[in-house]
Amino acid sequence: MTEFGPVTGIVGKLLITLSFLFCLLSLVYYFIAAKNDDDKKLRIGNWLFVLKGFFLVVASIMLVQLLMTHQFQYYYVFNYTSLDLAPKYLWSAFYGGQEGSFMLWILFSWIAGLGLMRWTRAPYKAPVLFFLGLTQLFLISMIVGWRFGDFTLGASPFRTIAEEMPNAPFIQANPDFVPADGTGLNDLLKSPWMMIHPPILFVGFAMMTIPYCFAMAALWKRKYNEWVGPALPWTLGSNLSLLTAIFLGGYWAYVTLSFGGFWAWDPVENASLVPWLIGTAGIHTMIIQRKSSVAQKSSLIFAILAYVAIVYETFLTRSGILADSSVHSFVDLGLYNQLLIFMLVITGLGFGMFAWRYKELPSPEKESNILSREFMTFTGAVMLFVLGLVIILGTSSPIIGLIFNENPTPPEISFYNDWSMPIAIIMALLTVLGQYLFWKKYDLETLATALIYPLLITSLLTVASVIIGDVRNAYYMLYLFAGFFAIVGNSWVVGRLAIQNPKLIGGSLTHVGFGLLLVGILASSAYNRPLLDKNTENYNAAVKRGEINDEQGFTVSQTVDMLELKLNQPKLINDQYWVTYEGYDLSNQNRPGQQTYKIRFDNLEGKFLYYLYPEVYPMLATSNAQNVNWSVDPDVRTGLMSDIYLYVAGSSFVEDRNNQIEKAQMVQPASGNPQEEGVQNISFQKGETKEVGNFRFSFVDFVQADSVNLPANTSIGIRARVEVFHIPSSQLNIIEPLFAIFMEDDQNYVMSPPVNLSSHELSFQFVKVNPEDSSIELEIVGLDEVYEEDWVLVVAEKKPFISVVWAGTFLLMGGFSLSIFRHWERERSKQDKANS
Amino acid sequence: MKPKVILGIIAIVAFTSLLMFNLGESISTYTDFETAKEMGSAHVPGTWDNTQEYGFSKETMQFTFYMKDESGNSHKVIYPRPKPNNFEEADRLVVIGEMRDDVFYANEMLMKCPSKYNNADPSEYVKASES
Repeated sequence: MTEFGPVTGIVGKLLITLSFLFCLLSLVYYFIAAKNDDDKKLRIGNWLFVLKGFFLVVASIMLVQLLMTHQFQYYYVFNYTSLDLAPKYLWSAFYGGQEGSFMLWILFSWIAGLGLMRWTRAPYKAPVLFFLGLTQLFLISMIVGWRFGDFTLGASPFRTIAEEMPNAPFIQANPDFVPADGTGLNDLLKSPWMMIHPPILFVGFAMMTIPYCFAMAALWKRKYNEWVGPALPWTLGSNLSLLTAIFLGGYWAYVTLSFGGFWAWDPVENASLVPWLIGTAGIHTMIIQRKSSVAQKSSLIFAILAYVAIVYETFLTRSGILADSSVHSFVDLGLYNQLLIFMLVITGLGFGMFAWRYKELPSPEKESNILSREFMTFTGAVMLFVLGLVIILGTSSPIIGLIFNENPTPPEISFYNDWSMPIAIIMALLTVLGQYLFWKKYDLETLATALIYPLLITSLLTVASVIIGDVRNAYYMLYLFAGFFAIVGNSWVVGRLAIQNPKLIGGSLTHVGFGLLLVGILASSAYNRPLLDKNTENYNAAVKRGEINDEQGFTVSQTVDMLELKLNQPKLINDQYWVTYEGYDLSNQNRPGQQTYKIRFDNLEGKFLYYLYPEVYPMLATSNAQNVNWSVDPDVRTGLMSDIYLYVAGSSFVEDRNNQIEKAQMVQPASGNPQEEGVQNISFQKGETKEVGNFRFSFVDFVQADSVNLPANTSIGIRARVEVFHIPSSQLNIIEPLFAIFMEDDQNYVMSPPVNLSSHELSFQFVKVNPEDSSIELEIVGLDEVYEEDWVLVVAEKKPFISVVWAGTFLLMGGFSLSIFRHWERERSKQDKANS
Repeated sequence: MKPKVILGIIAIVAFTSLLMFNLGESISTYTDFETAKEMGSAHVPGTWDNTQEYGFSKETMQFTFYMKDESGNSHKVIYPRPKPNNFEEADRLVVIGEMRDDVFYANEMLMKCPSKYNNADPSEYVKASES
């Protein structure tokens, strides 16, 4: 198995090197082809381009092969996989780390390049491919792993542990050292959502390169109008991918992490949102440029900025600069300088070319009227861009914050919320005006007349939701009004278009989705409520009044947002539900050591509603015998009106397990008897059941003992079949302790070896048989005298209308998809015409 | 210059200054426990002091532990939520809250875990495979 190991590594590195060189060579040919409109050079460039990707495909297959066959002498394999990892996650480990994810990104970029080769026409073809190749050159340089003295260019996925850590003592002792197992993939990432999220994200990144390339080609070839047509479907496609990736990431965070939401303004999340916002701004200006030959400058700038944003955010998340401010940025691989150069070149080229051609860029002859589709769409684009700018600014706090102090923290969440809310309100109002004006000419009077009914319905909806939802905040009322206006007004346009030409509804549909998103975000975050019992609610109310003091005499300012449940004891929650904890299950099905808790919800009348099954499991990648890291997996009950989100924050099972681990670690005390556990005797007749603590013992029957295991002169040899039922976990064990009397040296001896039940740390001894009533007596060691009732601590939240957030997202996706088809179809038919 | 252009420049300048002012207000500085005493809300980075008692109390519904800040002072931290996942694994903690006397009341806690994209040191696995 390890025979091919070293060879694979060398070949893999060689392939990446070849790919880099071919990329470089193709750039030369593309450059000459673009400069002189030389078709022959272009064809050679294309061949080099195809071969470059082919080398990378082979290298990727080899990396996957290394992962699948557990070649742990490779650092990448060692670092991201382990023997027990399921094949589907071995596969996703390919892009689990920086190096592999760069490879995936280049592969998608290469495939997009093949598409461009097929569908792009002169004069854009050669320059577009030149710029695409240039971005790929930088990306490949991140994974070549060339070493010049102390300096290394890129981090190769094929580097071995010996290359990674030449100074480690175990490598110095044995250079061929191969670890027996890898460190494994983080348990939180073992999720189907996380398997598909990165590829979709990188499809988006790869496609967003294309408008940049077109813009640069337009500037180079001085063709400032026609590029928008072919660039538009790619930009739309990229936006759809990014949106899908953002949605998957948010949904993953919601259902697997314990922060209880889908968005936290984390830099890594922002890194995918900002390019999406700027890309969307670009789509807006490209659409009006195509329709009315205006906004050429802004289309170019947004196309450049959208990709610059991607590279910039890549720099932030991958250079290690965000290490302190993000919970989940990548580890620094020493690529800081390379990433910085990549970013500076892309930005410098973009703005440099723009500045170089600025004088001759077309300007609109007359200013657009305010009540025109051009003005409205353009303003919408600017608002999107401003929102993106605000988020970039906040995300850049490790750099920009240095203006304010030496050790800047990330901005408070309120910074993002305070700025995005008013921008969102303006955008929501603009969408309706923009959509009305987009399809028809209006003046102030006719527009006002046309908007009477939408405004009326919006007002009704706003008032109704303010009353029903008990909204007291005037700002929220305005926000709700704007959100509902976007939904109603744009739906109106969708309805009208659907009658005239259903193919055109894509754009309007996205705006309805945007309105839904706004309303859903407010409802699910500002009106998110913890589920609590009356006592806790009263306590929290007292905390808010400042009436609670702690031991030190300080006023307590932190409310309790948790709920304690005892086994099979229903609790009334929020005057709305009866919630009962009905035990846990230890089936070990998904993950070893996992507990699945069973939480029952009934309504006030005691009618059964549903069960929730939150899980707790040990994080295998980071746990060992001395220290178990418990991780939680929440359960979400999805509803049309609201979701119930719940996770187990603690339980008696976990606490007992931790105590056991602690006890096992303690050195045997020198004095005293360590066995101070409770000893209890129970006697019962056949068929009888006795309940002690969390256990139910049933004496089923006597069983004949096998004489082989008995001493020679046995007079009585009998076993008792006893069922041991653990109530919280519903685990049933059957034990058959032995009771025997035998004779030796004319004396009767009793033999009753203890039977251990290790899963519950119990030991049973069959001590007596009563012949009169044929009852037996068992001595049980390990049953606590004062046993603790089984309990769980849950954090439960009710999130209203999170379904609306998803509905809005799906409408956005649907709208974008329809637009892609429309613009794609148009481009294709244009091409057919050109060819015929 | 046209009045429109001037108006536009004023608008942009006003917007940018407001944005930067607001950003400056919402960005705080990382500090240590000693300085946090004089501040309202503070961000204190440090590491978990595992020589002291720690744990979640079901009575007070609080997670209590000791943290050593970057100046090396160890102080008690009270966090009003259950012990977070991966707490023991975190090689760096940032607690956000306020200091009262010698106790830090954290409203929020960030953990920097090496495990997210597994950057574990293989040296610790040597023993496991050799034994």
